[in-house]
Amino acid sequence: MISARDIRVEFSKKPILHGVDFNARPGEVTAIVGPNGSGKTTLLRALTDEVHWTGQISVNDRDIHAYKPWELAAIRGVLPQIATIAFPFTVIEVVRLGLTSGTHGGEDRIVQQALQRVGLAGYENRFFQELSGGEQQRAHLARVLCQVWDPMRDGTPRWLLLDEPVASLDIGHQLLIMNCLQDFARRGGGVVAVMHDLNLTAMVADAVTMIARGEAIAQGPLPEVFTDHWLSAAYQCDLKTNAVPPNPSAFILPQTAALRGH
Amino acid sequence: MIISEQISSPVAPKNRRTVARQAHVWLALALLLVAVLSLATGPTGTSLWSALGKMFSGKPLTAMERVVLWDIRMPRLIIGILVGAGLAVSGALMQGLFRNPLADPGLVGVGAGGTLGAILAIVLGSTLPIWFSDIVGNMLIPVSAFFGSWLVIVVLYRVSTRHGRTSVATMLLAGIALAALAAALSGIVIFMADDQQLRDLTFWSLGSLAGATWTKVVITAPLILIAIGGSLFLGHGLNALALGEATASHLGIAVQRLKLLTILIVAMATGAAVAVSGGIGFIGIIVPHLLRLATGPDHRTLLLNVALLGAAILLTADIISRLIIAPAELPIGIVTAVLGAPVFLWILLRRRGLVDM
Repeated sequence: MISARDIRVEFSKKPILHGVDFNARPGEVTAIVGPNGSGKTTLLRALTDEVHWTGQISVNDRDIHAYKPWELAAIRGVLPQIATIAFPFTVIEVVRLGLTSGTHGGEDRIVQQALQRVGLAGYENRFFQELSGGEQQRAHLARVLCQVWDPMRDGTPRWLLLDEPVASLDIGHQLLIMNCLQDFARRGGGVVAVMHDLNLTAMVADAVTMIARGEAIAQGPLPEVFTDHWLSAAYQCDLKTNAVPPNPSAFILPQTAALRGH
Repeated sequence: MIISEQISSPVAPKNRRTVARQAHVWLALALLLVAVLSLATGPTGTSLWSALGKMFSGKPLTAMERVVLWDIRMPRLIIGILVGAGLAVSGALMQGLFRNPLADPGLVGVGAGGTLGAILAIVLGSTLPIWFSDIVGNMLIPVSAFFGSWLVIVVLYRVSTRHGRTSVATMLLAGIALAALAAALSGIVIFMADDQQLRDLTFWSLGSLAGATWTKVVITAPLILIAIGGSLFLGHGLNALALGEATASHLGIAVQRLKLLTILIVAMATGAAVAVSGGIGFIGIIVPHLLRLATGPDHRTLLLNVALLGAAILLTADIISRLIIAPAELPIGIVTAVLGAPVFLWILLRRRGLVDM
């Protein structure tokens, strides 16, 4: 369980998040959605301690400040939105960096399987800096997967926290990665992902936290949050959800009136 | 478009890790070879080989041979190894810390800070109370140089790094400003020096290994050996830091501690090297760059290789400086600059994008 209470973040005196509560359960994919500039990435960066925040955050029922960096690294992998690399590391060298103290035994096999999962088998000795944006993102994801390879360890769930993990991927790779995250959750781990694409979110998320104007305006199971009312309120335009058979998940469609209005 | 596709998929050799480990052995052998050449080189007619022959056949050495080989060339050799290894490792560590291949103690004012510290110690050292000089003794100059270097790196890091990201342009420009400031302050201190101190300063600031003595070996060796030994424990952390401070901490690295240790080690090695040999530039930039090209950027193997190659290259430069206008000596700083400045320009031209970061 990751839970956060009354999270507040300010950037140069300007409040970005005003007291957000957040919960994510193991075994589920929890999506954080919201319009541009709403504070969804800031919420993730507060959860990962990358921005100065106040409030209270706990991971697996233990206060986040009680963890040493390496203890946290053993149960939680974090994928940032952009991650440049300073020196000419190869793909496999980058992925191996994910083999922290939390991984023991079968390292080479884990690295190979992680590369395979993100569709980068055969890229081992390519230079990271020469890859396309989408390939770099997948290489980093493979690194993060290595870090928390088994979703459960000694009965405690491990976590993946990801900032727009599929932002620069084509639709095929988007589905590949989302499958991979869903699989991690099904095997007992917890996934928290900031998501941009609402339809993709509707397909894979179990729970959703919807952020708008620095506040969590709705959170809970997907069907309760992805309603016409909350979507339209968050994005401030007229949105309707439709299930398209045979796919049971809701698809979000803008109403044509919304277009004409602009 | 076609051109970019042709160059867009280079592949690193599969066995980079093995090559990097084997390089430990090859570089150690190369260092040994250059060390022997260094002992054999000098303006007097003294021959290492005939002296070795005498030692093996049990004949006594002449007084001349003993002085030249044991009191002049041997300390010079050891100081050369220490300074070369120290400067090269400082360079590699700074590049790891600033996440940039252009960071070098000599270029961004860290050496100048050390120089200022050393000059302060030389000029003002005589005004200190006797009991104090008795305690610090010969350590005053290297310790003062250490504080000078340390101060510059700390200011440089504060100025050029925000939210865990280093701006290269800011780093280089701030480095220029700090180097200029340190040089100006050094100038002011030099004005206060008397004639004898002025002679010491001039000799020292030429950047040479010629003044090497056993005393200097004893002063420098602990600082630089501790620095190099300590650096070997930072490899994993610096690899993670290449992904940025936030990601390194998500990988379980205690980032603040890593940065603090790196800065301390760089200041120790650079300060000690500057104190004993004056301003020798570019070793810290050529050596890590060449090794990254050859064996990859993994700091766990890189740092030891950098120390070995740095020592070998500085000894080679020292041999060249002794041979090129023999029996006179060229300051070694000139030799390393002639070798190093083109390498620096080459890195800059190949990766112009770096400076825009």
